[in-house]
Amino acid sequence: MAEQKRRVLVVDDASLVRLYYRTVLEDGGFEVDEALNGIEALEKLTVSPVDLLIIDINMPQMDGLTFLASLRRREPPLSSIPALVSSTESRQEDFAAARRAGANFYLTKPVSRETLVEFSSLLSGGSPPSGKSG
Amino acid sequence: MCDFLYRRTGMVFTEAKRYYVDRRVVDRMLATGAASFTSYFARLRSDLQNEVEQFINAFTINETYFYREDHHLRCLTSDLLAERIRTKKPGEAIRIWSAPCSTGEEPYSIAIWLLENWALADSYDIEIVGSDIDTSALEAAREGTFGRRALMRLTPELIEKYFEPVGPERWRIAESLRQSILLTSVNIVDSTQTRAYGKFDVIFCRNVLIYFDDTSRRIVAENLYESLSPGGYICLGHSESMSRISPLFEVCRFADAIVYRRPRDGGHG
Repeated sequence: MAEQKRRVLVVDDASLVRLYYRTVLEDGGFEVDEALNGIEALEKLTVSPVDLLIIDINMPQMDGLTFLASLRRREPPLSSIPALVSSTESRQEDFAAARRAGANFYLTKPVSRETLVEFSSLLSGGSPPSGKSG
Repeated sequence: MCDFLYRRTGMVFTEAKRYYVDRRVVDRMLATGAASFTSYFARLRSDLQNEVEQFINAFTINETYFYREDHHLRCLTSDLLAERIRTKKPGEAIRIWSAPCSTGEEPYSIAIWLLENWALADSYDIEIVGSDIDTSALEAAREGTFGRRALMRLTPELIEKYFEPVGPERWRIAESLRQSILLTSVNIVDSTQTRAYGKFDVIFCRNVLIYFDDTSRRIVAENLYESLSPGGYICLGHSESMSRISPLFEVCRFADAIVYRRPRDGGHG
């Protein structure tokens, strides 16, 4: 079977930021879906899980870390989806908060195209082979 | 007739543009089935079946293409945005206004340019608003379908990335790009309309002031001044100069373009 594209869900409230991630990741060979906030992301994930989440911290309605923490409390495979948190905040306590919420990696914005694709590949490739069997 | 147009749009059509006016009036007479100029003018004055809007649409000039006068786009990413983000608090959006936006080439160009050329594209929430007085141009902008001429300055890679082919020599802009831009009807001569959209960091108002007379130009300049945040920038077309229109703005010379700025302290006079 031809290799399946890895799927990424980008969770960010800013439409052009989502579009930027989408174009960079699609160029990098990923399939991309978008959510405007944590609530929408949870809804989308319960319908179809993905191989990687890219999450912004500051969002209205449900911020990125609250969303991630609530996802980690769910059943697998939802709870184990790798998550890359990106934010303009670069303080130690922000890294620590993201780690506590269950982030697998933290990138400080701006994230270059190369870095985004590289870490997305690493993190989504390392995910346990869930998907069809579940 | 020219007087009527002027009062409704602020655009001036002198005797020299007589042929242009005549042709469009004849077009509208044919379209409405008016038997004579007098009967057409009566229809226009009573605004029968939205004729005023149709008439204005026939007179506004909608010829543009992607990446037109791209020195302003280079200036935007190399200088203007760097300057504007210094004034931003975390989470505060950067707002860009394309007025008039005609059939959408300019606001879409701004979005594509930022996605391709701005290293901070993931770090700031950018709002792009496109507005025009011409509602059929706006309708076309929302539809977002373009021919080869409009795309002539874009590389095949960019067309492949941001458009989908929808027919012979027709391309439609990507859905996500269409949704990321607010397209809305605004008459820039009317301050009650321009005020409704809040303050912008950068305004593109290119190749429209040439169609206005001195009075309307000054009104537009004042409206745009009010629509800019202090320190915000305005880009005009290559043959236009704000210095000849209004003393409100500072001239800023950057490597790629000359643009105008609302002074930071907000004071004038």
